[in-house]
Amino acid sequence: MNTNGNTYTVVYTTLVCVLVAAILAVASQVLKPRQAANEKAETISQILVAAGYGEMEGWRKAGNTAVLQCFKDNVEGDPQVYTTSQLKAQNYNIKQGKPLSLPVYRFKNGITVLAVYGAGLWGPVWGYIAFEPDMTTIAGAYFDHESEIPGLGGKIKDDPSFRDSFKGKVIGRDNKVEFDAISGATMTSRGLEAAIDTWMKAYREN
Amino acid sequence: MGKLRETILNPLFKNNPVTVLVLGICSSLAVTVEMKGALVMAISVTVVTGLSSLILSLIRKTIPNRVRIIVQLVVVALLVILVDQILRSFEATYAIDKQLSVYMGLIITNCIVMGRIEAFALGNKPLPALLDGLANGLGYGLILLSVAFFRELLGSGTLFGIPVLKALGYPGNGLVILPPMALIILGCIIWIQRSIDKDLQE
Amino acid sequence: MEYLSLFIKSIFVDNMIFAYFLGMCSYLAVSKNVKTANGLGIAVVLVLAITVPVNYLLNRFVLQPGALSWLGPKFAAVDLSFLSYILFIAVIAAMVQIVEMIVEKYLPSLYSSLGIFLPLIAVNCAILGGSLFMQQREFGNILEAIVYALGSGTGWYLAIVTLAAIREKMAYSNVPAGLRGIGITFITVGLMGIAFMAFMGIAL
Repeated sequence: MNTNGNTYTVVYTTLVCVLVAAILAVASQVLKPRQAANEKAETISQILVAAGYGEMEGWRKAGNTAVLQCFKDNVEGDPQVYTTSQLKAQNYNIKQGKPLSLPVYRFKNGITVLAVYGAGLWGPVWGYIAFEPDMTTIAGAYFDHESEIPGLGGKIKDDPSFRDSFKGKVIGRDNKVEFDAISGATMTSRGLEAAIDTWMKAYREN
Repeated sequence: MGKLRETILNPLFKNNPVTVLVLGICSSLAVTVEMKGALVMAISVTVVTGLSSLILSLIRKTIPNRVRIIVQLVVVALLVILVDQILRSFEATYAIDKQLSVYMGLIITNCIVMGRIEAFALGNKPLPALLDGLANGLGYGLILLSVAFFRELLGSGTLFGIPVLKALGYPGNGLVILPPMALIILGCIIWIQRSIDKDLQE
Repeated sequence: MEYLSLFIKSIFVDNMIFAYFLGMCSYLAVSKNVKTANGLGIAVVLVLAITVPVNYLLNRFVLQPGALSWLGPKFAAVDLSFLSYILFIAVIAAMVQIVEMIVEKYLPSLYSSLGIFLPLIAVNCAILGGSLFMQQREFGNILEAIVYALGSGTGWYLAIVTLAAIREKMAYSNVPAGLRGIGITFITVGLMGIAFMAFMGIAL
């Protein structure tokens, strides 16, 4: 068989491409629900950590069911959980001045968790801030960002002392919260500050 | 039978893809901060090299020469995406896959994968091609895990997240976690290997 | 100002070689003398500057979740991001082909010095890595993506030329037998990387 003819080459390449695309589409459809479940559980565990329930490592070991159960037991009502990509969409809406729907998670012990999302120098930073019932004092926080080097997570993500430094701080009417920028991650800290500012304003207006 | 044995054993030491052929360093060193990430990466690369060698060896007589590279890339990319998607679907591996993020995708351009396809799979029967791919993936994984072993042990004092030196009061050494140390450790591994096997010296 | 700090950061702080090990294979293989290193370095800058913006547009208008909404509201829920690896690599392979043809036709002198490197570049991790990082970092507009591509290309270029210069000198040194060749090169790159870490402290 002549495998170097033009027709053969074109037909062959097309067939390979169609076949590969079909396999990928099927795989993506089949696996999507499980991936979405994992993403949701991760988001919820971050919210729980911010609200003071457990630590990230612990939740990772406990598995998705335990995370969902704890959330269900302690949260009021059945709020819709916003994954990171949904937060991103809302961040876009804030900037464009479009109508918003922002996530609010009220826990039974009076703590309320709000989300923030914004841009660091490299990629997005996001996080969850938990408020005492007076809605101005911070009870806890969790922050996350995309990091390129596995295991070398940024300090805002892994260093509990940075998160603890938020505890007891007050967010006043000017939406500002003072925190110490991390050396070596100035832009990320500044991005986080801007993110908190914009989102708190958006929450206040809604 | 002897030839098959050689196909499997050679890539592990004498013809190791990383330390001797200097292939596939691109995406590999960054994932050696922790044993866990390195292990998942090593398994993924082994699966991809093995299966891509097998598939391309099966269809080697039908591939038009002019689009050879493209067909290889498409098959490799398909396997990498599948591995990535599957890892993301399981609770146990979801977090690790998120950590490996970009480096997972970079398996596509890992020179070991393309190198073995070009050099071996396209000219051999499916079974030896599969074994050759798997063995090269294992050789790569061996180096990956040894670098990760030293980096996690000396860097954070743990192994697979379990405190080892840390339990003895070792505070961890930030320098070992930083990227340049991976290169220096690999340089030392090469030094040791070439001191044992003088044939490899330049 | 932001563009400047992005540019500087992608050259020095987040250097493709020293911080992310991208494009290591060709980096080590083609750094034996400065002249060829120069050729490959320029080719990498060129190809990155073309492929990253193209892939940026592709990601923005085709691949991202909701990216197809310009086709109509019906497509807003389509998420094609699982195809990104394969499309990025296809774009890179195609772009490299096109650049090669254009350079061959209009700049024959450049072609004779770059020619052999261009096909190699399609499978250079630095190129695919550039596009994947671009996707992960979610740049706000295409200008940022271009600045990022130029910056990281320049960083790669700088890294390969300096290593080639060191290796040219090192040919005359007395290196232990087992370390000769690739072993000492790894250690040199490691030490260069430590030197580059000094840039991390810069507030940008």
